Amino acid sequence: MAMKHLLTTIARRRPHRPPAALTVAVRSSSTSPAVAESPLAPSLPSPPPPSAMIYDRLAEDVKSKIRRLENPDPRFLKYGSPHPSIADHTHILTAPETRVTTLPNGLRVATESNLAAQTATVGVWIDAGSRFENDATNGTAHFLEHMIFKGTDQRSARQLEEEVENMGGHLNAYTSREQTTYYAKVLQSDVPKALSILADILQNSKFDDNRILREREVILREMEEVEKQPDEVIFDHLHATAFQYSPLARTILGPANNIKTISKEHLQSYIKTHYTAPRMVIAASGAVRHEDIVETVKGLFTKLSGDPTTASQLVAKEPSFFTGSEVRMFDSDLPLAHFAVAFNGASWTDPDSIPLMVMQAMLGSWNKNAGGGKHMGSELAQRVAINDIADSYMAFNTNYKDTGLFGVFATAKPDCLDDLAYSIMYEITKLVYRVSEADVIRARNQLKSSLLLHLDGTSAVAEDIGRQLLTYGRRIPLAELFARIDAVNASTIKRVANRFIYDRDIAIASMGPVGELPDYNWFRRRTYWNRY
Amino acid sequence: MFKTAASRLRALKGRTSTFNRGVARFSSLNDVATKPPSSSPFGVLFGWLTGGKSRSMPPLDFPLSGIKLPPALPDYVQPVEPKITTLPNGVKIASLKSEKPAASVGLYVNCGSVYETPESSGATHLLEHMAFKSTRNRSHLRIVREVEAIGGNVQASASREQMAYTFNALKTYVPEMVELLIDCVRNPVFLDWEINEELQKVKHNISEASTNPEALVLEAVHSVGYKGGLANPLLAPESSISRLNSNVLEEFLSENYTAPRMVLAAYGVEHEELLKIAEPLLSDLPNVPPAKEPKSVYTGGDYRGLGDSGETHFALAFELPGGWLNEKDAMIVNVLQVLMGGGGSFSAGGPGKGMHSRLYSRVLNQHLELHSISAFSSIYNNTGIFGIQAATGSDFVTKAIDIAANELIAIATPGEVDQVQLDRAKKSTKSSILMNLESRMVVADDLGRQILTYNDWKLSQLLKAVDEVSLGDIASIGQKLLSSPLTMASYGDVTKVPSYDSVSKKFHLK
Repeated sequence: MAMKHLLTTIARRRPHRPPAALTVAVRSSSTSPAVAESPLAPSLPSPPPPSAMIYDRLAEDVKSKIRRLENPDPRFLKYGSPHPSIADHTHILTAPETRVTTLPNGLRVATESNLAAQTATVGVWIDAGSRFENDATNGTAHFLEHMIFKGTDQRSARQLEEEVENMGGHLNAYTSREQTTYYAKVLQSDVPKALSILADILQNSKFDDNRILREREVILREMEEVEKQPDEVIFDHLHATAFQYSPLARTILGPANNIKTISKEHLQSYIKTHYTAPRMVIAASGAVRHEDIVETVKGLFTKLSGDPTTASQLVAKEPSFFTGSEVRMFDSDLPLAHFAVAFNGASWTDPDSIPLMVMQAMLGSWNKNAGGGKHMGSELAQRVAINDIADSYMAFNTNYKDTGLFGVFATAKPDCLDDLAYSIMYEITKLVYRVSEADVIRARNQLKSSLLLHLDGTSAVAEDIGRQLLTYGRRIPLAELFARIDAVNASTIKRVANRFIYDRDIAIASMGPVGELPDYNWFRRRTYWNRY
Repeated sequence: MFKTAASRLRALKGRTSTFNRGVARFSSLNDVATKPPSSSPFGVLFGWLTGGKSRSMPPLDFPLSGIKLPPALPDYVQPVEPKITTLPNGVKIASLKSEKPAASVGLYVNCGSVYETPESSGATHLLEHMAFKSTRNRSHLRIVREVEAIGGNVQASASREQMAYTFNALKTYVPEMVELLIDCVRNPVFLDWEINEELQKVKHNISEASTNPEALVLEAVHSVGYKGGLANPLLAPESSISRLNSNVLEEFLSENYTAPRMVLAAYGVEHEELLKIAEPLLSDLPNVPPAKEPKSVYTGGDYRGLGDSGETHFALAFELPGGWLNEKDAMIVNVLQVLMGGGGSFSAGGPGKGMHSRLYSRVLNQHLELHSISAFSSIYNNTGIFGIQAATGSDFVTKAIDIAANELIAIATPGEVDQVQLDRAKKSTKSSILMNLESRMVVADDLGRQILTYNDWKLSQLLKAVDEVSLGDIASIGQKLLSSPLTMASYGDVTKVPSYDSVSKKFHLK
């Protein structure tokens, strides 16, 4: 305390010493004796003598600017600290209870109510996606997502659209490798109507042949659009090579040939096999009452198949496995090279998936416009920014039911690829050997807040409920999630890195002018160090 | 030198305390873990060689025992009204309490490209980029690390009339957020090397923007439609950007970032707590009478830019007199925009994205030559612009402009819009406002910006104004719009765009 006091008084006294004036005096006397009286000048930076060289003037200018940094105002430095520390968030982690009811047919209904809100999201989350297709039907799940808005026995497509638009609502759908979602975002009073629309389209869709023909064109056009997005292409190819000869290798859109042949029968049989009650979750958030939703759902979702086969059983029957491999799409006409390096990651329920998330935050992400620039905490970001060897990079960590992918996706000019590949592999493999506690705490804080900040709005909450019930079978309370994240320390990181990274096979996908990208064996060699 | 020693010492202290807390945390974990982690230094050092310690956590589908869950919130939490305090020097501090775990804090300044002079042209764009760089109290490195240490995210955005600096993070960190935000806005030092670095990025941004015809056309509508502040480009041309330096920025800042023109708005914070932290940091700003907003006069005009894209982009626009300060008209124009709607001819959107708006059903579904057509509005404090912009192949331009003009004339003709369309537009406008306000970021933003404009949060009045819009209102606002001179802008292959007079005549026959 006394020491601190002493230091602050010294620091405060410092500006009153006349070193600035002194140096000016010394220098000016050496250049021109005509201004020797300058020590008498006021303590503010005196202008350099007219005879001084232009560079001296510039230097004075810069110095005077830097001098303004010397007297920080303690008022502004009361709370913040650049050193990451552990804070207790328990008292702020209050949320409305997530209520879950399982109906007799196996359908789960889960809600989080905020009755003061004026809007709500209700949706259906289904344990089905492109991984449950086979090579001949690949693309059906996605095709279905398009066709489901195209009319039912009671509603024509136009009626459906007008009904949704007249209530100012939004109807959305997306398909991924393991999940399919249909949700509606509406005003409070329209929740029952939204549920009845969802029930209708999921159970009574007509799949008119003309509509199928028309939608085929739309999907083929969507495919063209997707093929223009390098990140989509890279991740599709990464899955195709990493999980070759196993279900996760298939793309979501499916090959063009399949899109051209998918018929009404395919769609109907897909619904029958995969849209079963035990594999579906109705999630709602916002201005909804749990009992009301349960009652409405009971009355509406009556035609679902009660087939007890779970998605996990299907996964066990046809598991995905990781194969070390690479795919290159060489195209020197593109201005930038894109590539992704991935290790086999953790499944959803694997306890090590949390440390992997922390590792993802430690590697971080960066792009040319990032405000943090070369000052970011991630050492990979520092390397990339200081040496200017990439346009952007992003660490990713994707989970599936029985496996996952963990790695880095980067975009760079062709002449930087060698350096960039080295930096990425060095920083990933470093997680096995050298991890600082401060970096882990920073990454933990970043992970916690990104998980929480993401839950902004009823759709994000409903999505969180639906996804967690499908993957974990429950909604993990935030307090538990935070405790699990806080349990990760440097030695956990090393252990988990040792499990997933140390001397493991990798998958690489690259496209563009990738001639300078090192070969597979070069990458593979850099998954371990022969020094410590 | 003493100072560096002191900061080293502080750094050291920071380290040790973290370490201690880390240890404390570790021991508390033992209650949770099924097996205590091996504590021998051998196990820690060579853990990776020996296979590490055993897995200590149950899988994620099983609950972790020993977790103290905070009590759940009731399903109904009484919504609260925002509290607004005006400090003696004119700074306004507003907050809206919430039980949610995250907080959003923003500092909003009544300043933007309308306040730029020819000497400071481009200053707001550069200021947006220079946000969260070195201040008198913090280096850029320290700012980046402080934000990372709490896992927050910061953002700055510049528009024609308002600057916004926002910080999002967990509620626990509100003091840190407020302190850093105010420091970054009040005390930037604009170091030369930081400015040079950002100038490069700004130039890059500008050259990138020139590949976006829609944005170019919208900029052009402002630059030819107005005389005065609103004619200033938001993205200044490269020639004026190069003239900017730290002196220009400092002068611009001291002229415009004055106390009465600032609002600190927060969502998820107790008002008293916010005041306690923010007041000492803001109350010493000098109380200067607010500068008059530079006058902008709407004149209408014609802009044509030759671009190498094969298609032609154009916009037809008119003035909405009064702007935001005439709330009723502003909300009618918002409804009108939803009513006309529009979009691209190829859209992956589902129901609810305006598939039955007028421009969709009447234009896009009939004329496949149009690549996109949509209504747009840019509303400012005292004036606004409403119009239609579209993209089409160059051969179809004359026809497309005819179509767009007819659509604009149609809404100004009583009896053309029916009640069903209007009700749909009203409900969509209202629900999109309410759905946007689900997000805490949007709430904080709206709170700050509305206080800048109205000195108050008028959400309920605005929603009421939407409810009250009638068919007569739509037609009369349409007539009001069309009575102003036409602004026309086109970009791309403009050789076949009809003359300004011939288009203007369509609207002013009577």
